[in-house]
Amino acid sequence: MRKTLSGHTPCQAMPAMTVTSAALISTLIAAGASAAPPEPQSNFRWKDGPEVYAKVCSYCHDQQIGPVIRGRSLPPAYISAVVRNGNRAMPAFRASEIDDESLKKVAEYISTN
Amino acid sequence: MAEKYIALPKGISENTFDAAITAFRNVLGDSAVLVSAKQLAPYIKTMMPVPDADYTLSAALLATTVEQIQKILAICNQYKVPIWTISTGKNLGYGSAAPAERGQVVLDLKRMNKILEVDKDLAYALVEPGVTYKQLHDYIAEHNLGLWLSVPAPSAIAGPTGNTLDRGVGYTPYGEHFMFACGMEVVLANGEVLRTGMGSLPSSNTWQVFKWGYGPYLDGIFTQSNYGIVTKLGFWLMPAPPVYKPFTVQYQNEDDIVDIVETIRPLRIGNVIPNAAVIAHALYDAPTKAKRSDYFTGAGAIPDAAVRKITKDHNLGIWNVYAALYGTQEQVDVNWKIVTQAFGRSGRATILTEKELAGDPTFNYRAEIMRGGMNLVEFALYNWRGGGGSMWFAPVSQARGSETLKQMSLTKQILGKYGLDYSGEFIVGMRDMHHIVDVLYDKTNPEQVKAAYQCFDELLTVFSEKGYGTYRVNPAFMDKVAHTYGPVQRNVHKMLKNALDPNGILAPGKSGIR
Repeated sequence: MRKTLSGHTPCQAMPAMTVTSAALISTLIAAGASAAPPEPQSNFRWKDGPEVYAKVCSYCHDQQIGPVIRGRSLPPAYISAVVRNGNRAMPAFRASEIDDESLKKVAEYISTN
Repeated sequence: MAEKYIALPKGISENTFDAAITAFRNVLGDSAVLVSAKQLAPYIKTMMPVPDADYTLSAALLATTVEQIQKILAICNQYKVPIWTISTGKNLGYGSAAPAERGQVVLDLKRMNKILEVDKDLAYALVEPGVTYKQLHDYIAEHNLGLWLSVPAPSAIAGPTGNTLDRGVGYTPYGEHFMFACGMEVVLANGEVLRTGMGSLPSSNTWQVFKWGYGPYLDGIFTQSNYGIVTKLGFWLMPAPPVYKPFTVQYQNEDDIVDIVETIRPLRIGNVIPNAAVIAHALYDAPTKAKRSDYFTGAGAIPDAAVRKITKDHNLGIWNVYAALYGTQEQVDVNWKIVTQAFGRSGRATILTEKELAGDPTFNYRAEIMRGGMNLVEFALYNWRGGGGSMWFAPVSQARGSETLKQMSLTKQILGKYGLDYSGEFIVGMRDMHHIVDVLYDKTNPEQVKAAYQCFDELLTVFSEKGYGTYRVNPAFMDKVAHTYGPVQRNVHKMLKNALDPNGILAPGKSGIR
């Protein structure tokens, strides 16, 4: 029969258990399970400019879909304006997708790499 | 003096809108309520042949929790402010991030982007609306879960919630996305939170494994609709097969579509070819390899002779079937034999695999998306005419050869009348074909804009007269398509709208429903 850490069988009540100890037990059980599912991912945040480039821009601009934009010393302000407004076939990207700080970083990355 | 707002909701005074904006700010904070022209610019660009001003939003709200959405809806009900919800906002060719009517407030859920659960054993995911396919793809890879996504062509920047709710498709065996959706959480206009199917049962652990629940199945009324705001979506994932064998079959004449469809239908229905395979016309694939201006610079649609030259120069068929086999080596071997025998029968097919097409850019991208990989190469279509104009014309056809030939010929004829090219493909459903045509035009050229609008309008008129319905469309034509389905369906949609959203605050105009 499966036992809990406190020795009770699962169907027995554990009236004296506090919320804290219940949480501890569930943590221990989770840690001991070999096939524990990964924790839910918290809200996504971009790490840095290269990550934005690799996970968004490169799918077109390194694949001959959009023009090459790296290695041309394009001004960061120009890059940012095109990202926010789009340009012909290039879609616009909102601050909710690429936040202002990450846009600044990716524009600098593209401009200098 | 500059205007305070770049647009106002229909029938709402500036004073009333001021009060609503103040209330939104109290819920979300100032930084999550966008009203300036600069902040709203990315929401305005569309690919439709209509002035962007006709679809300009008044404000955008960046909500991240269900509780915030409930409070936002209370404010919308109080001030009668209409709200248009987007998730990733990349419904390119179907309206992008713009609302259905000028002045609507956009509720932007991109930042509501938690991956809530991925179950390796039961092979499902539960996500929030802002999660992109790329985010989920990376999460699955990072945790080595051995599961595949099914993605539409704009995979990396689009997401499962928006695509599934608009009844989009992908290219794997799970390609009919809504068929593989399982359980939603929906915030209703009155602020109540509904979990569909088994999710309504307290403590249920079967929300993502059994679609139907008890009583009338409700999930469908929250797709292509404006009856609620979906804040969580469950859907099934495909266990990665041990063997994956993508292939292409080329045919060299347009009327070969009859033979192709008659050959592929029994294979699809019999699950020998299990995926949402594609039958792509040369002009759908050509942009990945060729420039239109290298073959034709005259006025009007590209001539057939130029298309044939492109196919010769770039190893394409006039029709190109892309399909794949999935399973163990033994299963794939058996099915490969059946497939090659079936396509070999006519003597007109050329069957090619990774072996013959290593490094071919068109085959590579097709092979990538048939296993749910990240790839945006289909966007090469946008370089064909240039200028950023695109509308998807999406009539549904029977999976019957004679019908697909009729639809193709009719589409090509109407496009040609307006000087536009037939960039079309058929996505093979279980019994249907999604006939998908990218109506490409130069949005910076006023004559092409006018031609594209008139052409699309005629396509819808002529096709509906012949009984061919459109399954999905951009906001400029939603009302027109809704009318083609007749007054009884429209009335039922309206009755549901009145019951679930009596103040009409949720996305008025979506699918022609107000």
